[in-house]
Amino acid sequence: MMENRCWQICLTAIVALLTVSGIAQGAPLSERVVAYQIEGAYNANTHTLDATEVLTYTNRTGTTLNKFPFHLYLNAFQPKSTFMTEAQQTGINGMGTDSGWEDKRFGSNEVKSLEIVGSGDVTKQMKFISPDDGNADDRTVFEIALPKPLPPNQSVQFRIHFVAKFPEVVARTGYKRDFLMAGQWFPKVGVWWNGAWNCHQFHALTEFFADFGTFDVKLTLPAKWNVGGSGVMTGARDNGNGTQTVSFHAEDIHDFAWTADPSTKVVEDSIKLSGGTVKIRMLMQPGHMSSAARYMGALKGTMRKFDEWIGPYPYPQITVVDPPHGAVAAGGMEYPTLITADTAWLMPKSVLIPELVVEHEFGHQYWYGMVATNEFENAWMDEGINSYMEAKVMDALYGKSTSWVNSRLATLGERGMYQTEYVPSADRDPLSRPGWLFLDDSSYGGNNYGKTALVMLTLENLVGEKTVMRGLHAYFDRYKFKHPRPQNFTAAMNEAVGQNLDWYWKQAIDGTEILDDRILTASSERVDWYNKADEKAGVTVYCNTVIVHRRGNFDLPVLIEAKFDDGSTVRERWDGKDRWHRFVWERKAKLVSAEIDPDHGYWLDRDPFNNSWTAKADGKSAGKVAGYWTLLTQWLALVLSCLT
Amino acid sequence: MNGSVRSSAGLIWRHQRLVWWIFAVNLGIAWLSSLSVRAALRPILDRSLESAKLVTGFDVGTLALLAERPDVSARVLAPGAIIAALLFVIFLLFIDGGVLAVFLDDRKLSRAEFFENSGLFFWRMVRLALYSVVPFGLLAAADGGVAKLAGKLADNAPQDWLGFVVNMGSKLVIVALAMFVRLWFDLAQATVVRDDERKVLGTLTRSLRLAFRSGKLYASYIGIGLFAAATFGIGAGIWFYLPHSATGASFLILEIVTVTQIASRLWLKAASARWVALLPDEAAFPPLPIQGTVGAAADIQAPVPGPPMSE
Repeated sequence: MMENRCWQICLTAIVALLTVSGIAQGAPLSERVVAYQIEGAYNANTHTLDATEVLTYTNRTGTTLNKFPFHLYLNAFQPKSTFMTEAQQTGINGMGTDSGWEDKRFGSNEVKSLEIVGSGDVTKQMKFISPDDGNADDRTVFEIALPKPLPPNQSVQFRIHFVAKFPEVVARTGYKRDFLMAGQWFPKVGVWWNGAWNCHQFHALTEFFADFGTFDVKLTLPAKWNVGGSGVMTGARDNGNGTQTVSFHAEDIHDFAWTADPSTKVVEDSIKLSGGTVKIRMLMQPGHMSSAARYMGALKGTMRKFDEWIGPYPYPQITVVDPPHGAVAAGGMEYPTLITADTAWLMPKSVLIPELVVEHEFGHQYWYGMVATNEFENAWMDEGINSYMEAKVMDALYGKSTSWVNSRLATLGERGMYQTEYVPSADRDPLSRPGWLFLDDSSYGGNNYGKTALVMLTLENLVGEKTVMRGLHAYFDRYKFKHPRPQNFTAAMNEAVGQNLDWYWKQAIDGTEILDDRILTASSERVDWYNKADEKAGVTVYCNTVIVHRRGNFDLPVLIEAKFDDGSTVRERWDGKDRWHRFVWERKAKLVSAEIDPDHGYWLDRDPFNNSWTAKADGKSAGKVAGYWTLLTQWLALVLSCLT
Repeated sequence: MNGSVRSSAGLIWRHQRLVWWIFAVNLGIAWLSSLSVRAALRPILDRSLESAKLVTGFDVGTLALLAERPDVSARVLAPGAIIAALLFVIFLLFIDGGVLAVFLDDRKLSRAEFFENSGLFFWRMVRLALYSVVPFGLLAAADGGVAKLAGKLADNAPQDWLGFVVNMGSKLVIVALAMFVRLWFDLAQATVVRDDERKVLGTLTRSLRLAFRSGKLYASYIGIGLFAAATFGIGAGIWFYLPHSATGASFLILEIVTVTQIASRLWLKAASARWVALLPDEAAFPPLPIQGTVGAAADIQAPVPGPPMSE
C-alpha cells in the first residue's frame, strides 16, 4: 500500500511537471480540470474491482468552491434507483426490468473511504443527493462539503477507496461470462457549468457529462487476458502469480473505459491522417472475425471523412471493442478514444449494422469526445449532430439509399431510417427537453437521433450542403475541448451561414412543430370554358392551378415544380407564411404533375406521399402492395389450415 | 414409400380440379380482403410521385412511412386478413368430407354427391380440427419453450452458434412431430369418411395406434413435405431474382408457389386416404382389448396395408 502511494505521488509529480511544461504530448488541448490516477485489482469471480482513485481537481471556475458532487453510476443498477424505476415505468427493454429483477443485474459503487488530502478523512460527511427527482433511494450522486473552500486556480486532491461491482452487462457496462466492459466504473466528479454544479442522477434514457483532464489507470487482472482501454497502454507486467498489471495513460479526455476478455483476438492497423498517424486497435471475438474487415473499412473511411470535413483526430490511438454474443448491451457505445461495436456471427453483408455502429461511435469522438456537450440535458447535440454526420458519411461510403440495407430484395438508407424513427414521435418532445423528461425511449431516439439529423438535412436544402458542413467545422473548431450549449451551436451555424436562422432553430429545437405541406388540389381548366369548340393541343389556353396547403405548423418556404404536357417545367417559391397558397399558370399546356420540394430536401416533412400530384393516376404501387397483402393473407390461411 | 407417394400423386393429378378450386377460393377470399387495402392505398399512392419508390425498388423506409400512417397501418388492416384466413379454414373443413370421399373412391363425384359428403361430415371434421388444437398447441408450446432455451443458450453458451443450432435442430424435430400429428388426424379423417364413423374420439384413439404402425406412410409424408419445401424454396429463389418492376411476374411465381403448397397438402390427404382405403376393416379397427385381459394389447395384430395402388 505504501509502495503504491509512493508510485502515485511520483507519477502525479511527473505528469504535473510534464503537463505544466507542455511537453507530455505537445501543449494541452483542453483545460485539464481533472487528473485521475486510479489503481485497482479486478476479481473475475465476483466481477468486482477494488480500487483507489486519486483525483486532483483544479478550480478553473473563477469562483470559490466549497462542495463537490460525484457520480456513482454503477449504483443505478439497483431495484429502487431512479434508473431502474424509469426503465420499469417507461417499459424500456434490456434494462432488466422487463423480465423481472435478477440478482445478476445488481451493480454498485461503494465508497469505502474518502479523504481530502491535507484535510483528512471525510467519509462520514458524504451525503447522497437526488437533484433531479428527489428519489431518496437513488444513490448515483453524492456530495461532499470541503472543510475549507477552494479558491480559483487552486487544486484539491481527493483520495477515494472504492469497490465497483459490475452487473451482468446492461446499459453498456458489465460482464458477460469472462468478458468485461468497464464503463462508468469510478467515482467521477460533476462539472461546474453555467455557474453551478451539474451532476445529474443516472437516468434510464440519459448519458453522461464530465470535465477534461488526464487519466493514469493501473489495473491488475488475470494474466493472459487481452485488455483495452481509453488512451494508450503504457505498460504491461506479468506478476508471476496468475495476474498481470497493465497501465494506461490518456490526456485531454473526459472519461475512461476499459475492457478485458481472455478470448479476444487483437487486430491492429494504422491510418495516416492530417493530424498524424493514428493506431487502430481492435479487440475481436473469435467468432466475429469475419466482421473485422468490415469494421476496419468503415472505421478508416469514417476517420478520413471526419478528417476532411470536420477536423483532425488529435489522439494517437482509437480502440474498437467487439463484444461477445449475449453482450449486445455492451455494443454501440462511445467512450473517449474507445468505442464498442456490434455484430453477430451470421451478420449478412447486405445489412450494414457493423459498419454504421462503428461509424456512429467513432463520430462521437468529435460530438461528445471533443465537443463535450451535456448529454443529460442536450442529447441532440451529441447524438443528433452525430446522426447527421452518420448519414453524410454512410451515404458517401455506401450510397444514399443503401447505407442501412443493401440487398436485392429491399433497400434502406440512413435518411429513410431517421424518417421512420422520427415520424411516430414527431409531436411528442422538443429537442430542448432534458433527456430524462422525454415521454419514452421511442421519443428520445426518434427526436434526439432522428429529428436532429433530419433538421440538419433539411437545413442543407435551405442554405446548401457545403454551408452546413462549413458551419459544423467552425462550431467544432470553436468548441472542441469545451462544453458548448445549444445557443453556442446555433450562433456558430448562423455565423457560418451568414444569416439569422433563429426562426428555424426555434421551431426545430425548442418546438414540436410538424412539417406537413401537401398539394390540396391541382387542375387544368380551359380559360375559355364557355367556348364549345374542341380543345386543341398547343392552341387552347389552360388555367393551371395548384393549391398548396400547410397541413402542419412548421413554417418553411415552399418550392414547387410544375410539369406540363408540352414538356415545359416551371419552379416557383412561396414564402410559406400562410396556411395555403394558390399557384396559377396560364399557358397552352396542361399540368402533368406538380411537386412540393422537388429536390427532396425537406426531410422533416412527415408525409412525403402528399407532396406531389400527377394528372394521370398510376395504380401500380397500390396494386403491388395490395398484391403482396393478398399473398400474405393466402399464406396465413394456408398456415391456419394445418388444422384441417 | 415410392409407391404410396406415386399413387397418391396420381390421385391428385386425376382430381386436380380440387386443387384449382381450393386455390381459387384461397385467392378469391384473400383478394376480397385486400380490396380494403387497395381502397386505402389508392388515394395515397395513385397520384403520388413518391410511390415510384415502391414500384422500381422496394425501399423499406418508404414502406415503413406508409405503414406508420394510421389509415393504412397493419393494426387497422390485419383483422380483415385474419377473418379471410378463418373463412378459408371453415371452407376447407366444409369440403373435407367431399374431398376425402373423392380420394377414397378415386372417382369423380357428382356435385350432389360431393356436397352431400361435405355436409355429412362437416361437424365431425370441425370436431377433429378442434381436437387437433391440443397436440398442435402442445407442439407450439414446446417450440416456444425450446426457442426460449435456445435464446438463453445463444446468450450464455461459450459458442455463438450453439443457440442457433439448438433452435434450428429443435424446429426440425417439432416439424417432424407436427407431420406425425397431421398424419394421425388425416388417418382419423379418412376413417371417419370411409366408415361414416360418428365416434370421433374413439376413431382418434384407433388412428393414433394406426399412425404408429404406418412407418412407410410417415416416410411419404416427410417426402411430400420436402417436396413442398423445395418448391417453396425454388419459387422464392426465382422471385428473389426478378426485377422489382416485374410485379406481374412476381405475383405469378408466388401464386404458383401457393398452388404447389395447396397441392402438397392435398397430396398428404390423398396418401392417407389411399392408405385407409386399402386397409381391411379389421386392420383399420382391430377389436379393442377386453378390460382386464392380460396381454390383450400385445395380441393386437399390426394392420397389413395392401400393396400401393398401381396407376
